[in-house]
Amino acid sequence: MWAYITRRFLFNIPVFLGIVLLVMAALRVHDPVYAYLGKNQTQEDVDQLREKMGLNQSFLVQYTSFLGRTLTLNFDEESWDQPGVSVGSRLTTSIGPTLALTIPALFLTTVISISVGLVSAYFRGQLVDRLLVLVAVLGMCVSFLVYIILGQYFGAFWISREFNIQAFAIDGYESGLINWPYYCLLPVLISVIVGMGYDTRFYRAVMVEESERDYITTARAKGVSRERIMFLHMLKNAMIPIVTRIAISLPFLITGSILLEMYFGIPGMGRTLIMAVNSNDFPVIQAFTAVFAAVYIVTNILTDVAYALVDPRVRLA
Amino acid sequence: MTFRWLQTRSARKFLKNRMTRFSLGIIGVYVLTTLALFGGVVTLEETETRIAAGNIPGFWGHYPIEQRFADTEMYLDAVKRAMNRNDVPTALREITYGHRRIGSSDPEELRQRLREAESLFDELAVLDDLNHSSEHLRSVERLESVIDGMFAAMSTTESFSRRIRLSLGTDRQGRSILLRGVYSIKVALLVGMVTATIGVLVGSLLGAAAGWFGGWTDNAIIWLYTTFQSIPSMVLLVLLAYLFTGSRFEGTLLPLYVSFGATYWIGPCRVIRGETLKLKQLEYIQAAQTMGFSRFYILLRHILPNASHLMLINFSLLFIGAVKSEVILSFLGLGVKEGPSWGIMISQASPEVVNGFFWQIGTATALMFGLVLAFNIVSDSLQDAFDPKHAGN
Repeated sequence: MWAYITRRFLFNIPVFLGIVLLVMAALRVHDPVYAYLGKNQTQEDVDQLREKMGLNQSFLVQYTSFLGRTLTLNFDEESWDQPGVSVGSRLTTSIGPTLALTIPALFLTTVISISVGLVSAYFRGQLVDRLLVLVAVLGMCVSFLVYIILGQYFGAFWISREFNIQAFAIDGYESGLINWPYYCLLPVLISVIVGMGYDTRFYRAVMVEESERDYITTARAKGVSRERIMFLHMLKNAMIPIVTRIAISLPFLITGSILLEMYFGIPGMGRTLIMAVNSNDFPVIQAFTAVFAAVYIVTNILTDVAYALVDPRVRLA
Repeated sequence: MTFRWLQTRSARKFLKNRMTRFSLGIIGVYVLTTLALFGGVVTLEETETRIAAGNIPGFWGHYPIEQRFADTEMYLDAVKRAMNRNDVPTALREITYGHRRIGSSDPEELRQRLREAESLFDELAVLDDLNHSSEHLRSVERLESVIDGMFAAMSTTESFSRRIRLSLGTDRQGRSILLRGVYSIKVALLVGMVTATIGVLVGSLLGAAAGWFGGWTDNAIIWLYTTFQSIPSMVLLVLLAYLFTGSRFEGTLLPLYVSFGATYWIGPCRVIRGETLKLKQLEYIQAAQTMGFSRFYILLRHILPNASHLMLINFSLLFIGAVKSEVILSFLGLGVKEGPSWGIMISQASPEVVNGFFWQIGTATALMFGLVLAFNIVSDSLQDAFDPKHAGN
């Protein structure tokens, strides 16, 4: 078990080194200082900013120093777009709104999708199942952006016009549990509806595959009821793909839904990154992408550990 | 080769389904439209020109009297401004709404019509309860007909073409939604085809090389795709699109191709690597090896052709992904920048939706829906046809 975890951990070290290399190289294809200062800069300004960011040093020196800062989570450089604010503090302020959006969304999507997937598999081939599959497929053919635009229109504008109650905010964000439904519930619901299309199809396929296995036939043969098989035997054995699916979506808890955050003006991680890209805020882009990658790798390792716990076969592989 | 393929079991199974054939037909229509667009049926310029007032609803239906009234004001203003310019005839000639141009070159006649229209307009403007009563409707219609009189009569083909252009209404800037939606088919198909081809080609070659040669090649390629994969795809797309801001390729489709290509090769690479590892164990590959064929020959002659169905399936999946991601990137300001695309249309539609105007978002969504659904059905039945295990699902 420990040998397996150590192996996974060691494997991810070169991957992380590669990501930081990729991100840093990509950001230096165009000189970030020129992009930020625009055309009317003086050579002095350029040199000063370069010196401050350490951009005048060799790539190797920059690489090791940035790697060191990322590993020690030391992001105290100043954001270019918002002078006086450190990159680290922008990270910590934007993580809250993102999690307020993504954690409920992931939870609801998973629970509802598994239930719908089970129902669909239970009535496999019947009208209910066909309808559910059809709706899921048709729903997937519409752009996420359309759901957001229509969701905002019907959730925020239409309801308040027709019923005279401002149930949801059009955009904006305030922290605090009391404010949560007003600002976050609508984006969460939209994200659940969009996510369900993919997830129900996946969970249905998992359940259908599981229902064809020998142990199900055995259980049927010894007289266990169909419902008991569905909810006890199958669900338990379907845990491995379910855990995988959830683990795959864990990094998105942090990156969040860039689109939802942009559209509803929620100051989360994704929105901060896009705003930084639009204003050429180099330190923020660099730090955010590195953090995203680090989070991804950590969840990757955790997933592997979870696997090893759930499925004994993995440990021996 | 193609003829033999049509007679194989998988191909027959694939084509047996009526929905699949129908979807292939739909895709064919989209492809033909794209070819016609390359032939210049709708030019970029036409999609950008104003042909009427803004936000006219489609199907030539009647729309609220307030909006019709506001539209007459727009036409009147345009003519009035032109009359006050130094060079009146040139200024008048510059007023164009698609095929709709100012008719009489005699300024006196036009001035008289303008006066008539203005008096009608003023009568209506003082009313503070403009409503759909027949009396008000008649006055607005009279005003409209006077304004129509200022414009030249159109030939039958011209008025037919104008009617077609107005069939799905206009966007906020008075541009034809139909033309913009149809022109976007070309953009979507280009983005989808090019990026899916790059993704599948690069992915399959790397994947097959990794699986077939093993050892350090395998390790290096695994490292490469794990690295690319560890950056959330949205973040990677944003990062790569950022690379091109300010370069001379900004505004072309190249940034989209590169960022999708760099993100999308991972899926096919993993799948083809797995398939190669599986095929490597099979007897006929071992037989080819014992017969002394070179490793490259076996890879090209035996491995890649036998994994080609996976390439096809991945191609259709990547195509769908690219078409859908274009919308998102264009909304974020990192995608298509010149000319229309479904993404541009949908993001421009959001202020219209607030005012209850759904024609633009509806058109873009419907056109995209058709293409994506057809590809979804085709990719599903490809999977069914080639994978016996998948058939039951």
